[in-house]
Formats: sequence, structure tokens, C-alpha cells
Amino acid sequence: MKKLLILCAALLVASIAPAAAALQVDITQSNPQPLPIAIPDFLGDPQAGANIAGVVRADLERSGLFRPLDQKGFVEHITDINKVPTFASWRSITAQGLVTGQVAQQPDGRLRVDFRLWDVYGESQMLGLQFFTTPENWRRIAHMVSDAIYERITGEKGYFDTRIVFISESGPALKRVKRLAIMDEDGANPIFLTKGDYMVLTPRFNPTAQMIAYMSYIGTKPRVYLFDIETGKQEMLGNFPNMTFSPRFSPDGNRVALTLETAGNSDVYMMDLRSRAIQRLTSDPAIDTAPSFSPDGKQVAFESDRGGGQQVYLMGADGSNQHRISFGPGRNGTPVWSPRGDLIAFTKQQGSIFSICVMRTDGSGERVITTGHHDEGPTWAPNGRVLMFTREISNNRGSQIWSVDVTGRNERQVLTPGSASDPAWSPLIQ
Amino acid sequence: MGMGRQMRPTVDEPWPLGIAGSALFHGLILAAIIFTFHRNFTAPEDSHVVPVDLVTIAEKTNVAAQAPPTPEPEKIDRPQPVLEAPPEPQMAEVEPAPEPPIPKFDIEKEKPKPVDKPQPTKKQQAQDFNALLNKLTAPDKPVKTAKAGPRVIQAQGLGNAMTADLMTALQNMIYRCYSPPTGVPNPNDLVVTYSLMLNPDGTVGRVQLLTLDGNSYTRAGAEAASRAIYGCQPYRLPPERYNEWHEITRMTFHPPEQ
Repeated sequence: MKKLLILCAALLVASIAPAAAALQVDITQSNPQPLPIAIPDFLGDPQAGANIAGVVRADLERSGLFRPLDQKGFVEHITDINKVPTFASWRSITAQGLVTGQVAQQPDGRLRVDFRLWDVYGESQMLGLQFFTTPENWRRIAHMVSDAIYERITGEKGYFDTRIVFISESGPALKRVKRLAIMDEDGANPIFLTKGDYMVLTPRFNPTAQMIAYMSYIGTKPRVYLFDIETGKQEMLGNFPNMTFSPRFSPDGNRVALTLETAGNSDVYMMDLRSRAIQRLTSDPAIDTAPSFSPDGKQVAFESDRGGGQQVYLMGADGSNQHRISFGPGRNGTPVWSPRGDLIAFTKQQGSIFSICVMRTDGSGERVITTGHHDEGPTWAPNGRVLMFTREISNNRGSQIWSVDVTGRNERQVLTPGSASDPAWSPLIQ
Repeated sequence: MGMGRQMRPTVDEPWPLGIAGSALFHGLILAAIIFTFHRNFTAPEDSHVVPVDLVTIAEKTNVAAQAPPTPEPEKIDRPQPVLEAPPEPQMAEVEPAPEPPIPKFDIEKEKPKPVDKPQPTKKQQAQDFNALLNKLTAPDKPVKTAKAGPRVIQAQGLGNAMTADLMTALQNMIYRCYSPPTGVPNPNDLVVTYSLMLNPDGTVGRVQLLTLDGNSYTRAGAEAASRAIYGCQPYRLPPERYNEWHEITRMTFHPPEQ
């Protein structure tokens, strides 16, 4: 009898064991690659559809995070964006994302652009949006489409619907003409804002993107001017007896931090744009300059050589708690606070080599992210992960504007009409 | 039962436990059968039903786009585009689709507590059976298949030596397709966990996201992980051990520090 019991027990246990096996896996390696995405020309007007899709493809490819596939390899031809695509045919060409869109002119003359972003593996729509605008604004719509796709895939805000203000240089080396210029972030629509009969330096956008502050040598002394992009009018910011330079707007657009030089000493000041009241923030005998606001407007990063060579310091927006945060090798200056708030980019000089670096706001985690020998003056994209900067070409052949991802990847030149420097990135256009 | 004549009660050798014992034994066998084959009682999940989420758009006009005016170099004239809120997409007349694998995060709300409970049912049953076994078997004859007992419980937790090779195989197959977001402020936001079932041919069956809280980076990371799971199928694993790899209760993606 006991043999029977044991046998039955064995039967029980043997029947339990295989059913409950399960597995746990940890994936700790990755293989970051640009996302293969298929973006056929938008339907509707063939020219407009090709133009808009072309700008979207170029935007996404330029970010380094997407790889638009060649249309010639597409198997399925989209004829109706309201029909679900045949995902298997897109998988067969290794697409992981698919964008279908159409362009239509409205009876009132406006342009309407629809698009859908599809997840090819999950076989579902990830995003669908409509835009309306005047036809001549089609490039902005294309950039907004790119921003929407970028944000949906990466989780970060996009930066394609932005503009760059910069100094455009032309003329022979001994008679350089520097003009203030503005262009779309992809280099399209370059426009000169000044004629070049006076020197302009360090232009900076204000947060509403309609006004630029810059330094100019109208007359003999450098002064800060405000330039209204819409009206073309400009005004001098304050009438100080001495030099004023390196202006930068606060995130709310109501204040400008700038450097005033009095009796050979440079200090950071804050001016309220509405009342024109001015407050002195630093009173150190050293050179304090290049202020940059934190995204919440409560702190200011700046450059000071009070400790010997130039280093990066932080202080409250009222000048309190001034303390040094850069302790890495070389001289460190021109700090710019990321709009994301987590990093500060700056220029590092070691011997004759100038490079763009980033560090956390407590000074830790310092990283060099560019590979040139004379890279300086970084500016952040509004999403806080792409930087532009000035790269000087050797042999006095002028300078170029380059961009780089905060990870150090995807360094590439920004196309400009000739030699260019001092880029400043606008916020997303409202 | 086929156990031979020893099972039949006779006058000389009566069934020692009586009716109650017989009922108990039948109950145990029945329970064992149910427990072993309970999976087959649950309906298999549908895979990849395409959800339809369409906007009904009026008939298109096919008017050629007007050529943009030639920009004058010195004049600044930038009309602002008018953005209208996109209309709510309307469902077309097809059957509604089940939740797609894309995880949906309600980013505005407060983060709910993560759901992370191991399944207690099978473990509890296994322990009960073990207790029963100990009672039923004679003290001087240990249960021959005792080692199957601990294996039942251990399989609920970390993989043991018998499954480590499967874990490694899966890691090596999946990571190639795992392309997480880079340059994020906090890489921990990208850590996500899925559970998934694999078909015998190595293709992916049911996939479920277990990470319930997070921000927009977490969603991007979860979608990248989902693309990895689907992208690298079919998974070539030994078919004779399918019972070991048909379900992965926890697959956690850890993007490397950036």
C-alpha cells in the first residue's frame, strides 16, 4: 500500500514541475542607432507634398536620431492617409516608423497639412495632427511636423521650428564686414538685419523670439542694442558712459543681464526692461562678464577671473551666493545654462586649444564634446540637447557655425551664406 | 487506474483508508490534472489586431499650391501661422481594437505606485502540495522526486543554473535591436520591465508593459524596448526546452549610463 502512495505522490509532483517554469531576463546592453523611418512624399499637390516631406526628412536626419529611408525602396504606395498601411511591407524594408501626410489648399486660401505617425511593429498610429497656415509658411509647418514626430519618439521637445541669429562675415581679411543675420535653423531663409556699416557682436534672442539684443560699435564705444525683428527698429539699451556688452535676456523676457565697464573694471548688472532700473550684481575688482540665466530665472552663471584665470561662477539673480563651479583644467568661460536646466555648456581653453564642454550645474561631470581646435561660444537649442558654436577655420579663412549633440555625437556644419560666427538659438517660435 | 488487482478491495486486504480516503485521493489526482493543464483553459490572446483610429476628412481639393513670394533680402515680413487644435480623431465603423502595445502614460497626473507583485497562486499551490507530499510519504522512504519540489518554487524567482543559458541567449539576441533614447537628463527614467510570451516558433505572442509610472522619457524608453522585443524575433531557442522559455515573466531594460 505504501508503494502505491509513493507512486501516486510521484505522479503528482512530476505533473506539477514542468508547468511552473518561468524566466527572467535583464537587458543591460544596448545598440543605439538612428531610427529607420519611412516618410513618403505627402499626398495632394505633388510639389508641396514633396517639399514638405523633404524638409521633414532633412530635419529628422540632421538630428542624428533618425534615418529616413529612400523612397525608391518603398514597396507599398500610400494613396490615402486615412487607410491603415500594410505594415508587413514596411517591416520588409526595415522601417520602424512610418509617416503619411497630405497637403490641401483650403477655399479661404490657407494651406492645410495632415499627417499620421505609425508604429510599424506595433501596427498602430502613434500620432495624428492637422495644421493650417498661409501657403508661404509651408516650411514652418514642415518643421512643426518634424518637431511633433521628434517629440513623440524621443520624449523630448523638438527644436526644428526655430531660428538662428548670427554674425555674417564677408569681405577681405583686412576689411571684414560683419552684418547681423537671421535664418531658419536648417539654414533656409537667410536675411540680413543690418547693413554692415557698423560692427555687431554677440546677438542674443529674447524668449518671445521677436527681439534681439546685441553689442554694437555705433560710435566709438560698444553698446547694447535691442533690435525688433518685426519692425526693424532698434534702440540703445541705456545710455551708460562706458562700455556695455554681453547682453542676455531673462527667461521671462523682462530683464537683461549685461556687463558694464566702469573705470577699467567689468561687472555684471541686471536691467529691468520695463522700468529701465539697473541693479549691480557683482562688485569684484576682477573681470566679471558673460551672464546666463537658469531656466527658472533665479540664478545666473557668469565668467570671472577673480580666482586667477577665467572660470565659471554661479550666483542668485540678485547677486547673492557667488561661488565657483568650474574646477577642471584650463580656463573656462562663456557659460550658457541649458533650457532643460540640467547642464551648463561653456568654452574651455587649454593652451591654444578651445573646445566646447558641458558640466552639471554643481560643476561635476565635466565633458569635452567637440573635436575642433578653436571651438567657442556655445548656444543651446530650446530642448537642451543640441548645441551650436563658432568654429574658426585655420589660416585665417574665417569661421563657421557647427552643431553637436549633447552626447558629443553628430557634429556637423550649419550652412550659412559665407563666413559666420556668434550663433544664438531662438526659442521655439510661438 | 490500471494499478492492478491490488487496488480492488478484497476481503483479505481491505482498502485501509475507507471512503474518505478514496475521495481524498481522487480529489488529489483531479487537482493535479487541473493544475497541470490549467493553462489550456485560458483562451490564447489575440496578437496584433490593428486598431483603427481615423479622422473623417472632407473631400480634398486638388488646388496647386501657390508659389511663395520671393523674399526681399532687407525687408522683414514674417506672417505668423495660425495653429488650430487638431480635431479629435473619430472612430470609423469597424470593431474597436484592443490596447495596442504602445504604453500610454498619463504624464500630467501624479505618479501612481508601481504595480510589482509576483504571482502568488502557483507558488502557494506548490507549497501546499509539498506539505501534502510530506504527510503522505512514509518517513523512512524519502520522496524520490523531492528535487522537483524546490525547483517549482525557485522558478518563480531568479533564474537558476538550468535557465541561465537561456537568459544569456535572449540577452544576446535582443540587445542588438534595443536602441534607447540617448542624452536624457536621468537615465533611470528609461528603465522599464515587460512580461512576454513566446510562441514555439520563437515569435512574440503577448507582450505586457509592467512599468506603470514615468515621464515622457519612460514612454520613449518603453517604446524602444517594445521595438527591440518585436524587432529581433523570431528567437532561436532550443525547442525541446520550450516549457522553460515560453514565458518571460520579467524582462527589464537597463540603458547604459551615458
